[in-house]
Amino acid sequence: MKHSIISIFFLVACVVPVLAQRNIARLSGRVTSGDGAPVMYASVFLKDTRHGAMTDSDGVYNLSAPVGEYVLQVSVMGYKTVQRKLSLRGRQSLDMVMEINTVKLEEVVVTGKSTVRQVNETAFNVVAIDARPLHNTSMSLSSALDRVSGVKIRETGGVGSRAQISLNGFSGRHIKVFMDGMPMEGMGSSFQLNNIPVHLADRVEVYKGVVPVELGADALGGAINIVTRQARSTYVDASYSFGSFNTHKSSLNVGLATRAGLLFQVAAYQNYSDNSYKVKSKLLDLTTNSYSIEDRWFKRFHDNYHNEAVILKVGVTRKAWANRLLLGVTLSQEKADIQNANLMKIVYGGRVRRASSVIPSLNYEKRDLFTDHLNVSLTANYSLSRNNNTDTMARQYNWQGEYRKKSSRGEGSYSMSEYNNSNFHAMANFNYRPSRSHGFALNNLFSGYSRKATDAVANTENSTAATFMRRTNTKNVAGLSYRFIPSERWNVSAFFKRYDVKVRGPVNVSTTSTNVYEEQQRSFSTDGYGLATTFNAAGIQFKASFERSYRLPSENELFGDESLETGDVGLKPENSRNVNFNISYSGAEGKLHSLYLDFGLIYRDTRDYIRKQIEQRYGGAYYTNHGKVRNVGLDVEARYFYKSLFSVGGNLTYQDIRNMERYAVGGAELIYYKDRMPNVPYLFGNVDVAWNFTDFPGKGNLLSIGYNARYVHSFFRSWESEGGDIIIPGQLSHDLSLTLSFRNGRYHLAAEIRNITDEILYDNYSLQKPGRSAQIKVRYSLFK
Amino acid sequence: MTTSIKKSLLIACAACLALFVASCNDDDASSKQPRVGAFFIAVTGETTQYILQADDLESGNLLISDNVRELEQTGYTWIFNDDPSVAVGLIYQQGDPGIGLGFAIDGEKNLLDPAQFIITSRFTSYGFFDKYALTCVGGQTPASDSSRSDYVTFNFINLENNFSLTDRSIPTLNITGNGGQATFSGIADMGNGEFLTGLVVSAPKDPSAGGGSSSGTIAYPDSVWVAAFDANLNLKRIYRDNRISYSSGRFRSQYYSQIGRATDGSVYVFSGSYESATTKPCGALRINKNATAFDANYYFNIEEKTGGYHFRKVWHVDGDYFMLELYNDLTPTATGAATRYGIVNMSAKTFSWITGIPAYDQITGTGLPAPYNGKIYFPIVIEGEYPTIYAIDPVTSTATKGLSVTGATSINAVGRLTR
Repeated sequence: MKHSIISIFFLVACVVPVLAQRNIARLSGRVTSGDGAPVMYASVFLKDTRHGAMTDSDGVYNLSAPVGEYVLQVSVMGYKTVQRKLSLRGRQSLDMVMEINTVKLEEVVVTGKSTVRQVNETAFNVVAIDARPLHNTSMSLSSALDRVSGVKIRETGGVGSRAQISLNGFSGRHIKVFMDGMPMEGMGSSFQLNNIPVHLADRVEVYKGVVPVELGADALGGAINIVTRQARSTYVDASYSFGSFNTHKSSLNVGLATRAGLLFQVAAYQNYSDNSYKVKSKLLDLTTNSYSIEDRWFKRFHDNYHNEAVILKVGVTRKAWANRLLLGVTLSQEKADIQNANLMKIVYGGRVRRASSVIPSLNYEKRDLFTDHLNVSLTANYSLSRNNNTDTMARQYNWQGEYRKKSSRGEGSYSMSEYNNSNFHAMANFNYRPSRSHGFALNNLFSGYSRKATDAVANTENSTAATFMRRTNTKNVAGLSYRFIPSERWNVSAFFKRYDVKVRGPVNVSTTSTNVYEEQQRSFSTDGYGLATTFNAAGIQFKASFERSYRLPSENELFGDESLETGDVGLKPENSRNVNFNISYSGAEGKLHSLYLDFGLIYRDTRDYIRKQIEQRYGGAYYTNHGKVRNVGLDVEARYFYKSLFSVGGNLTYQDIRNMERYAVGGAELIYYKDRMPNVPYLFGNVDVAWNFTDFPGKGNLLSIGYNARYVHSFFRSWESEGGDIIIPGQLSHDLSLTLSFRNGRYHLAAEIRNITDEILYDNYSLQKPGRSAQIKVRYSLFK
Repeated sequence: MTTSIKKSLLIACAACLALFVASCNDDDASSKQPRVGAFFIAVTGETTQYILQADDLESGNLLISDNVRELEQTGYTWIFNDDPSVAVGLIYQQGDPGIGLGFAIDGEKNLLDPAQFIITSRFTSYGFFDKYALTCVGGQTPASDSSRSDYVTFNFINLENNFSLTDRSIPTLNITGNGGQATFSGIADMGNGEFLTGLVVSAPKDPSAGGGSSSGTIAYPDSVWVAAFDANLNLKRIYRDNRISYSSGRFRSQYYSQIGRATDGSVYVFSGSYESATTKPCGALRINKNATAFDANYYFNIEEKTGGYHFRKVWHVDGDYFMLELYNDLTPTATGAATRYGIVNMSAKTFSWITGIPAYDQITGTGLPAPYNGKIYFPIVIEGEYPTIYAIDPVTSTATKGLSVTGATSINAVGRLTR
């Protein structure tokens, strides 16, 4: 990995002088929209020449051309094209501000789409969703993600409940989540997708199967990147919402940018809910401790959740030595009552989970470092998170909130355990674009992790001597990509990734019946690669991408659990061949109708799953590579717009995920060979409809009505060939929202009803989600 | 007395049912229904547990998809009682209580919907006593005093009252008069209103002791203590001896019972000499029916007969035959691999390795065996094959291959339910 950094510098050093020519002038600058937000992927051209460039995700462009007089033209969909005369010589910089194409209202539908659509039009199979139209809702990031094709968020309950992301059938450690390019792993449970409100984000990008080097992780099945608001202007955005189950959410976002280039940003938010929705379950008779035969409805009584977070950023922009230097800190905390176990009929009345985290961060960006077109960004953060689980009551509760006294402590098992995790991430990103047709990127992400338990009451079942020993884990992911852009019509990127992991911790080295621990170090590395290309013709875009992706063995898999599991450094990483094909069409008929269609085909061939095996002849458990899963899936999306007044759209995902492993580890034939993977939703979709009524009520105001429906087809919990009868039933739910925006979008009043038909919803077996609920939200937003 | 009334009621019910069935079904003309029975087989697929039924274990093959029920949770420990005839599924996982299950069959051998009860405390030992299924766990902190952790918590699951569960905790500090605290191993019904349990007496558990058990350092590894309790958990007496080590088979956090009652009512107390510090070989002592002390004239040095191999689990087969599960290595390791099997005759003091079962280094898993009609039916899985039940004849110590279950990864338990 060190070698790769050195080689890119060599490359830079060699190539740069060759390109330097005397009669060539250089122009750079930044393209922003009226609200100060960067306009990405805008094409910046010298009119009637072949010289031009495209803005990057920060709206920055760089171009070079022979000295002379030109007209600079900047255009991008959704904005009015702007032109400026200039005489180009030497080095110049020119910032451009673009105006939104149509009436203010367009922002909701068309311009909002367009920024995002530009991301969608890269060669990767990426779906970017614009979070801004959702800012008037009281959604979390995870519920916004649930609307993306191929993505299913599986929640265990109401506000703050655990949310598992399923992306093309992958979940858990196979999918990595980033925020502004930094991994969210280790940021603590108090700062995760299920509790961060959607308005913290500008957009959410979902990379399916093939992940660009800028997101450095061993993401076997894909990655999600949350892009937070980056507005460099001065703004205030404040909101409060109130809803069913005593749910209160509020937020305050303030940004201040001075002429001198100083920048202050504060984002603060809070979520609170009793989650007192009704569930259908069995009643425990506290005198006999046996369950009722029939189901009854009960109100949840111990499911209060609240979390609070503040994100502070201070920095400077547009300095000679830094295009951006930001210092930040994210503080967050949460407290969650635990109402039930993973079977809903097991009820708690006193168990509590708490978490908090402190994440200082640093971000430095410099364009044209040493040489033109070499952009560097360095980001680092350190997160210290604390997790606490308390279970001390000597009680047994039932769904009526009644309890009996138990003779021993702990509703589950007596615990006041506390775990402290610390994570360090440092990322360096180099982007070099020597000419219009070539681009290089080098990205290196280093992650360090350490964990220590400071248990006040040792949980006798789960703790061993090793529980209290230190363990550390470092990982480095380096990625190098080359992008070739021969024309506006097509481009191709190839990339290479190098993964290294090093773990240190206690290992059980005993050869007798007493455990003996020794601190050991083990390391592991592997290489991955991929390719992505896109071709445009007549409003139709074709995309193809491939990645050989990996998931490295975890600490436990390499090390064992320190008592009865043995780790194995000889494990292969879980690996997958991920292929995507996409065809999309976007076109407009006159000014009235426009249509967007996207058809995606995915293929995943995943092997060498790391599995824990227990064999009595060996006594303890060990890890081995075993298993093949194939997924052939289809994502279809269609959307129709009538001006900006009406839109209807939807997506449908079908994934045929099947076990292709014919034999068990020991060699017995698997009865579920070619079975569909159990407990994974495989057919689901969304439909949404939006109506906008401009100048209603009164001029400068806007009324929007939104409707959203979600469908999930039923699926088996276990392998179908095993002949079980437990299924997660098919479900259809409907949401409705009504938003009034006054005074050109400064004041908003929104009302939402979720799950209108009060459908019984489950993402997981037995764990019921909320029924019908209503929310009202007021919001004030001012952009200067 | 009560049981006989219950029995007659049951018979009456069965007779009524039979009459009813007979009137519906002309083919079945028998008006007198004999006692019916079927084997209850708990199996695991890839991860999910299922229940299957079979009339015969000596031969044949079932498919996992022939299951009659998929269970909500996995990881059940099964125990079977004769009268009333029930299968009790015990579970407790990762700090969460589990849903215990109580199964019985109807007069047509159909599995009835299970009674469901909550098991709120962990258990490391279990068995039947009187009208109860009993579980217990040591190292518990009582509600009254959070500074102690020497309590043993019992769950009493009442088989005659729809599996209703009550829990009770008792202190164990200095229970033997030699200091320390105790974890209980095994529940053996004496048949006289008392049950026996092996005491694993240790220093209070040091958090760094490891292994997930509730026992700390063993101060007296050369002593055995067995406590007799009544149904109200009154300590009736303690059987003490120094000829063997404590009576418990330990694996992870579990304390397997090494106490078993022979058909003639005498109780054998085994010791697998788990503790590396003990100087006593693996062996057994006897408590004669209704005796208040160990039989001073009975001592069986089993280790001598096994060639030095220690054992971990003990099951009663028939008469005074018991089956032993022995460690693979002469010095058991922390991972505790044990897939060797032998039969002991306690009165003749003989030991013989079981033949006709797969070699010990092929066995990847076993399940709870069922004693039935003088034999013991033992589920075994070997690499590359589906789990199979072996019928073991204790007299000859030989096994024959019986029923297998295609598609299962293991047969967790087998037992017989009757009605």
